[in-house]
Amino acid sequence: MKKIAFTAALATTLLLTLNTSFATDMTVEGIVDKANHTAYYQGDDGKAKVTMTITDSQGRDRTRDFVILRKDDGVDDGAQKMYVYFRRPADVNKTAFLVWKQTGQADDRWLYLPALDLVKRIAASDERTSFVGSHFFYEDVSGRSPTEDTHELIEESDQFYVLKSTPKEPQDVEFSYYKNWIHKGTYIPVKTEFFDKAGTSYRTYEALKVETVQGHPTITQSKMTDQNLGGSTLMDYSKVEYDLGLPDEIFSERYLRTAPRQYLR
Amino acid sequence: MQSLSSHASQHSKRWFSVVGFLSLLLLALVALPTLSPTTFPFLNALHIDTDPENMLSETEPVRLFHNEMKKEFGLYDMIVVGVVNETNPQGVFNVETLNDVVQLTDFAKKIGWDENGVRHGVIAADVMAPSTVDNIEQAGVGTVRFEWLMKQPATTQAEALAIAQKAQRIPFLNNTLISDDGKSLALYIPITAKKDSYKIAEMLKAEISTFKGTDTYHITGLPIAQDQFGIEMFKQMAISAPLAMLLIFALMWYFFRHLNLIIAPMVVALVAVIGTMGLLIITGNTVHIMSSMIPIFIMPIAVLDAVHILSDFFDKYPHSKNRTTALREVMKELSKPMLFTSLTTCAGFASLAFTPIPPVQVFGVFIAIGVALAWFLTITLVPAYIMLLPEKSLLGFGMGSTNEAGGVPKLSLMGRGLLRLGGFTFTHAKLILGITLVLSGVAYYGITKIQINDNPVKWFEANHPIRIADQALNKRFAGTYMAYLTFEAVDDNLDVLTPSIIDDFASNVQADLQPLLGSPLSAVEEKLIGFQDDAASDEEWEAWEAALVTLQNVQQQRSTFKRPDVLAYIEGLQAYLLETGLVGKSNTLPDIVKTVHRELFLGEEEAYRIPDTQNAVAQTLLTYQGSHRPQDLWHFVTPDYRKTNLWIQLKSGDNKDMAAVIEAVDGYVEAHPAPTALAHKWFGLTYINVVWQQRMVAGMLDAFVGSFVIVLVMMVFLFRSFWWGLLSMVPLSLTIGLIYGVIGLIGKDYDMPVAVLSALSLGLAVDYAIHFLVRSREIRQRYQNWQMSVKEVFGEPGRAIARNVIVIGIGFTPLLAAPLVPYQTVGIFISAILVIAGAGSLLILPALITLFETTLFKASKEGTS
Repeated sequence: MKKIAFTAALATTLLLTLNTSFATDMTVEGIVDKANHTAYYQGDDGKAKVTMTITDSQGRDRTRDFVILRKDDGVDDGAQKMYVYFRRPADVNKTAFLVWKQTGQADDRWLYLPALDLVKRIAASDERTSFVGSHFFYEDVSGRSPTEDTHELIEESDQFYVLKSTPKEPQDVEFSYYKNWIHKGTYIPVKTEFFDKAGTSYRTYEALKVETVQGHPTITQSKMTDQNLGGSTLMDYSKVEYDLGLPDEIFSERYLRTAPRQYLR
Repeated sequence: MQSLSSHASQHSKRWFSVVGFLSLLLLALVALPTLSPTTFPFLNALHIDTDPENMLSETEPVRLFHNEMKKEFGLYDMIVVGVVNETNPQGVFNVETLNDVVQLTDFAKKIGWDENGVRHGVIAADVMAPSTVDNIEQAGVGTVRFEWLMKQPATTQAEALAIAQKAQRIPFLNNTLISDDGKSLALYIPITAKKDSYKIAEMLKAEISTFKGTDTYHITGLPIAQDQFGIEMFKQMAISAPLAMLLIFALMWYFFRHLNLIIAPMVVALVAVIGTMGLLIITGNTVHIMSSMIPIFIMPIAVLDAVHILSDFFDKYPHSKNRTTALREVMKELSKPMLFTSLTTCAGFASLAFTPIPPVQVFGVFIAIGVALAWFLTITLVPAYIMLLPEKSLLGFGMGSTNEAGGVPKLSLMGRGLLRLGGFTFTHAKLILGITLVLSGVAYYGITKIQINDNPVKWFEANHPIRIADQALNKRFAGTYMAYLTFEAVDDNLDVLTPSIIDDFASNVQADLQPLLGSPLSAVEEKLIGFQDDAASDEEWEAWEAALVTLQNVQQQRSTFKRPDVLAYIEGLQAYLLETGLVGKSNTLPDIVKTVHRELFLGEEEAYRIPDTQNAVAQTLLTYQGSHRPQDLWHFVTPDYRKTNLWIQLKSGDNKDMAAVIEAVDGYVEAHPAPTALAHKWFGLTYINVVWQQRMVAGMLDAFVGSFVIVLVMMVFLFRSFWWGLLSMVPLSLTIGLIYGVIGLIGKDYDMPVAVLSALSLGLAVDYAIHFLVRSREIRQRYQNWQMSVKEVFGEPGRAIARNVIVIGIGFTPLLAAPLVPYQTVGIFISAILVIAGAGSLLILPALITLFETTLFKASKEGTS
């Protein structure tokens, strides 16, 4: 049933629970589900080349090139596996991440460092640590489970649903809530704004480019800006492909050391 | 100028009205823009500046570099909050205190306000506290974990202790965030600008006052010290300076017993101070720590001349009982020495304009202006004032010292003592000179022992909260004085394709690269990516992939501070600095690499090392960047890895200690060549203090030598005789020699106020010599014999000098009550300078004249008018 697309690493997340009595033909739960699906679960599997440009508050740029492979475990927009393979800078070439995303519990993450010949499990106390030094968090890349927040529709325009999502466990996160602008036609979350405890917006995700790939509306450029730290990170996706028939076994510790090169070209 | 005096005395009222009007005008010009800046935007308001950074001009390369590096490494001025608990056996690591600390941290992060659209306050993202820093540790077999050190306030004692243990395991935090004994905490709160520190500190204090625990919170850091200094400076100006004035007033009353009359010198001093400070402010100069001392310097100098006039008038008036006659006589005698003493004092201070320290220049120039003003006011207002007094109010003036018959003066104890002293200088001239020579020897020895040192925190008294905080924290932590040492790669830029680079590539792609020789490497990279995109087979694609990696490896050689050998070099320097005992701790890029490497390898101590290859370093750092605070890395290295920054923590902010560290680093770099060409440079406030001190010492020496020569030339011109000119320099040379000799002997640091004293000595010490010698020559001319002249010289002129020494010497003791050490230093040494210069003039000069009478009077015969 889900023939759909995959948009590579993304920010934002949304999700279900809450219904409001807002005058709309969609339930809040429905909007959140569809947005979550569009952001992270299109197609059975997917691949993208990513060029990440990290610009700091002084305007200094660093780039990282990596390939992301993704495969869903089932059809319920739940568990999925991800393989992130670094190509450049050259000194981190062949470094790889493996993520087994779980719903309802912390993800499993492994890191392979070729120069140290080391595979290490990474346990973060939370998912809100930096993704390889960028302004994106791990959670922005792998997706925040919709069940972690309560959602309400606070605004609806011709083009967008605007949702406000409040964490159920506020002590686990640094934000007090976030707002999500979801495009009505595609269900792509085009903007997410995070608000701190004083109610000030301090972190913004934006989808800058959307292309249709194999029939799936796909974000091909996105940006995370952090007003507290200053600077932003831009992710450019190229060579996006869906439904490649990626074998399950490449998402394993063994394949961290010997990368599945044919899928990474 | 005698005509000036007589004009003033003939038009007394008009003179007073004009001076009074001008003073009020100046006060208004300062008060209006200060109280209401928006109404008078075109006027300069009073602006206090307590930033020691401003000892150097804003365009000074050291400061430009400091600001550039602060920006490049994302560093801010910091408020340090030390949390200490003496009663709990676990120190601050108990549930209650940690909860307070979290509350304070959350509070601090929210401090911020808008000023004209610019945000001021705390840099929340860079606050260092248990709840805002990351911990990296083992989390079960084969697992490494990043977590906030204290995500939630501890709820049990065991949790509290666990936090302490975790923090001590992270070298970056140990001895910086958590004390050496694991019982105290320090929070580091970066702020947008130093001038915001007082406001922020007050907010923090208010929050802390709501805590119920038994902890002590020490708020410190250089910005706090500076803001506090500004407040104490006002106290000093508001209390000490007026108190000094009051005491001078009381002493003058003791000598002259005529309240109305002695108001004159006070008016002169007050108007001179208002005039000088008013001019300083309306011309847009800031009131800096240096310029805040201007009133204290001007007052004694302003009073000095007036005391000479009053003293002379006091002695002369009883003879004629006619003010006009007495005044004319007084001014005839004194106008020349007063002009010259003022000129020499001006020269001494004006010479400070040639130092390379802007606040010292302003200080010197405005004191020179103040002295000139004081001279002008003295020779006009004092006679005018005397004329304004009703004649009958002068009845009895000076009578206390003369008997009814007006014959032989009935002298005071001081007067009798002076006469005996005069005789003694004649009979024991050689003894006096012998003692002088011995003292000179001692002074010379003392001067060789002088230690040049300063420390802005020590400008506060030992029991000041800032000093207490400073001590409490430096006792427990590795040091609160931060200096930054940067290393920059200065090797050749490998940015174009050369034949030797082509040799690095696999043989199957070398031919394709040949046409690109000389192209920038970035262009080569684009080309290779194009080749790869067009690859027909997996093998071909792999070959281009390999070529791209080779190319990047070449480019990565420019990432100097990922090289293990370069990191090991930094590590070696760190170890050496610890050995010297000068440095409490250093935080560096190798420390971060080693810590992460250790945790990647099961947290074992032997893995606390720099990995073997550049790629391994890069991958270790990539791991680190998966933490909550990856941005911390850029406080230690630039993203291109061409520049690194070492945080050096010193337990002492003494310039001499910082200077010793600088020397140690230079020595190490000299003896141990780095694996690649590196250039090192310092920045940070602790370093800047050393730089301005060096400038100050060298500049002061130049200024002193210059003004010494100028004063000597003026003296030769005044006396129309080289020998007399030289003679007049003797007391001041001895005074300065002794003052600095004593400073060397007692181990008092040669610091900012001490350096400035040389100018003050020069200006004041020569005054007594001028008065003494001018009068001596006049009297000797009358008697044609020194032995007979001595008695008269030690009469009125001697008394004037002695009165001056006492009035001003004692008058400045209230400065000892100032809460700031520089003012105390100035107070002690002004008194000492006056006493020594006075004694020198009254002892050595007559002794020298006795011994060299023939030479001196022969030499000056033609020159004397």
